[in-house]
Amino acid sequence: MYTQPYPEGGQGPTAKKNAMAPNSLLIADCGAVLTKVSLLGLVEGQYRLMARGEAPTTLKPPLEDIAEGIIQAIQTIEFITGRKLVENKQILVPEQPNGDGVDLFITTISAGDPLHLGVMGAVSPALEQLSAQAVSGLYVQEQKIPSPSYVAATTPLNVAVGAGGQINPASKWTQELLAKEWKLQLDRLRELQPHAVLIVGMADGPAGPTPLQEACQLVVNAAREGALVTSTGTTPTGTPKLFPVFYAGAPQYVEAVRRMVQGVAEVTPLSPLVAQEQLSDIGSLLSTLHEQEVMQKIPGYDRLRSWTSTVPVSSTTSLSSLVRFLAQHYAMNVTAVDVGGSTTTIMLAGEQGEFIPMVNMGIGVGTHIGDILQRVGLQRIARWLPFPVTEGEIREFVLDHMLHPQVVSTEARALQIMQAFTREAIALTVESAQFQATEVPNADLILATGSALAHAPKFGQVVLMLLDALQPRGVTSMVIDNAMLISTLGAVATVAPVAAVQVNENDAVSHRLGTCVIPYGDVRPGELAVRVGVEYSNGKQVTIDVMGGTIEVIPLHSNEQALLTLFPAPTVDVGLGPGERARAAEEIDGGLVGLIVDARGRPFHLPTNETERQARLLQWAQVLGAN
Amino acid sequence: MTYPLGWPLLPQFRVKRERWPGKYRTKGIPLVYPGQEVVPDQLVLRLEQDEQAMPTREGKVANPDHQPSASPASQPQILQENVPAGLRGRVVGFTPRGGVVIESKVAVLQGVVGSGIQVAGVVTPWSGNSETDTMPSIPPGAILVVPGPLSLLLLRQAINSGVVGIVASSISLPDLEGFLRTDYLQMVYADDMELVQSGFAPITLLCTEGIGVLPMSPRTWQMLQHYAGSIALLSGATSLRYSIFPELLISLSLAETPQNWQPVQPDTSLALGVLVRICSGRYAGVIGFIDYFFVYEQSFSSGVRAQAVRVRMEDGTFCVVPLLSVERIA
Repeated sequence: MYTQPYPEGGQGPTAKKNAMAPNSLLIADCGAVLTKVSLLGLVEGQYRLMARGEAPTTLKPPLEDIAEGIIQAIQTIEFITGRKLVENKQILVPEQPNGDGVDLFITTISAGDPLHLGVMGAVSPALEQLSAQAVSGLYVQEQKIPSPSYVAATTPLNVAVGAGGQINPASKWTQELLAKEWKLQLDRLRELQPHAVLIVGMADGPAGPTPLQEACQLVVNAAREGALVTSTGTTPTGTPKLFPVFYAGAPQYVEAVRRMVQGVAEVTPLSPLVAQEQLSDIGSLLSTLHEQEVMQKIPGYDRLRSWTSTVPVSSTTSLSSLVRFLAQHYAMNVTAVDVGGSTTTIMLAGEQGEFIPMVNMGIGVGTHIGDILQRVGLQRIARWLPFPVTEGEIREFVLDHMLHPQVVSTEARALQIMQAFTREAIALTVESAQFQATEVPNADLILATGSALAHAPKFGQVVLMLLDALQPRGVTSMVIDNAMLISTLGAVATVAPVAAVQVNENDAVSHRLGTCVIPYGDVRPGELAVRVGVEYSNGKQVTIDVMGGTIEVIPLHSNEQALLTLFPAPTVDVGLGPGERARAAEEIDGGLVGLIVDARGRPFHLPTNETERQARLLQWAQVLGAN
Repeated sequence: MTYPLGWPLLPQFRVKRERWPGKYRTKGIPLVYPGQEVVPDQLVLRLEQDEQAMPTREGKVANPDHQPSASPASQPQILQENVPAGLRGRVVGFTPRGGVVIESKVAVLQGVVGSGIQVAGVVTPWSGNSETDTMPSIPPGAILVVPGPLSLLLLRQAINSGVVGIVASSISLPDLEGFLRTDYLQMVYADDMELVQSGFAPITLLCTEGIGVLPMSPRTWQMLQHYAGSIALLSGATSLRYSIFPELLISLSLAETPQNWQPVQPDTSLALGVLVRICSGRYAGVIGFIDYFFVYEQSFSSGVRAQAVRVRMEDGTFCVVPLLSVERIA
């Protein structure tokens, strides 16, 4: 867990004051599959969402211009509102006296390829984990490319798979094996086609300073072969831009590294990467590089820039800004879940500034849905389905969605399969986050967004997907952002903070699904897990026994509050220790689903018997009104 | 190989295509010069490849000048192969690997899925039942056109008869993967463009509607019947990573390209009265005209609500489908 500064500087969205008070804003979120555009305006003195439209993102042929998808989505808004927003394929700015046009146009982008980063040098497991943490909140695909001498010094030959997996009878790294390892790492570099490399490692490692030297040599060799992505631009001084090398290794070799890659790469020295304190520097540099080398090269980006004075930002930057703001503002641990077409993002922000971002590149329910199937296999998908399914049906479903990622599931069966994939996309991302963080805090608030969640026709389906995939513990609240606004509000906050806060409260996080109680510990199926006492504001009292292996929903509507008392079984924990009774100091809020008690245990396991499993899935869905 | 052009069927279009029948370790030697006008059956390229490289399916010829080595295992035999243009048009350049770039006025059919290298062949429509009927005798080198779904039986018959490619409406995924002996989901997202272009198909496939059991659009079938006997260029390369889709190019005759000839400019925007194809759900593959745009989101049987359109299908009945599920085709 570490703390990152806000990319836009200062203390977050509310810190920046802007004298301009726009009357209307158009905000576009260009995702990998869909472009969502929302029109915000003043209604009775408050900023509200007035209309929204969606269209397929037009990054690829035949249109190959990201601005076209935005215009198509805006046309839906024009159709709904009767308000003219585009003229001659330009956004009409500012708002006209007749109500046409808007004062501000803001864009966030998650479409496009990730930035490719090679992590080179003496890449120990600890440094590998740190570098993964540094890029975990960014659209960056990193790959470890350790120097051959480091591999030789740290890898016993009988497990050496790098150099072709050969076992040397002499159990010694020969020059021949080292040469093969060298070729392998060069091949990796060629395959990755990096936009930048990060060189890490100190000189006192098992291979000394040699890995740093070898990393430089690999970069030089790859550059000679044209295997590096080099920018075509120039620096402010007019010289051609060179390949960026971020050097976070032994500080005494900075000049030597510069000399070795001279003429090939531009070295940016950083503090040696040894602890989490250095991560934010690396993250900021890579974020900037992503903007320059990926976002600005998206087809249609220049046209987009010509529409607005605000610089488009990446959706993950915007989302992280908002999530951390919410955590501080409400003084609680907030978990945001965004399931997109090619990326699944989970961000955990704590009230003390803790922040665990996880952008899972290539795991999404659109064009990358096949990657989920490949990663988890048929069984993990099929386990969430209350009906038998064949591998052929799932594979055809996947190919259909890879070919037409924008389509919505109009049939109930297809929707359930899609929701099974959504669960696994979230679960895979949770696993990645747990790998990188030693401690993942329990969430007080879970905020869900992304089309797979926001378009779910029943709120109970969203709750069930989140409970199944995230497996939260203790007491938490769930909110669905079904207008898919939260990914953009961080960006809105940089220019119109009042609008961001008001739209967030009025429209983005207004769909509270309910409070969830999730007992954990030794929860035994069929035995009492927790007794729940509810004292409604009107004085009515209810006590419900919830048995292990079940889910119960206690009526508590959106406009209701109640005091909650929990009496867990001796082996069961609700957050204060096994068997410890808990009574809420403040009333809890109701929601669209109600007060949900998930006593299936943590981690919960589905029955192995097929008939029983299907019956359970149907039962849980029925309780939550999800079927 | 081609990027999406906007509409799956373009009766008049101008293309520039590299004539290159795929494969590794192959060197191309152009047999034409820049600016030269070529006809579809004219040989434009000589390929030289070692014997380990995958052969093409278009008139492989042994090199008469080549003296076989005494030790073929250690010294690969050089095979030569002459490749016809497949297109009528003008040579406008050469690629570094030796491919010949030809500019041509064509009718284009773009498929949804496919596999296999670029081949030239004679368009040969066949409207029998692929499950039950025995395929008639088809001359080798044909591109067989089947208006219905493909079956494994038909594919086997096609291979035996020397067909170089098949254009059909659809194929089930198990049949396709069984035929290719590969994981198609991985193949269409592979990094390796050579792999994507060559695939594993012993013949080149193009499915106009996609995966499953879907009939071919009557417009497509009519166009292909119109060009029966013409030489066409077929590519099955399909890559979702690189946004490449299979295509069939049929060069227009001189009579079809008068002086005032203009290519069609495909417009993908949706409007009232435009012809669309439904690409997913229970109406997948159905063609019709947009009849009405709903102002408010509509609810579907799954409970999902979405912006929707009403489509008047070709049989005169109507269906309501999500806006995102229709694609303009003309």
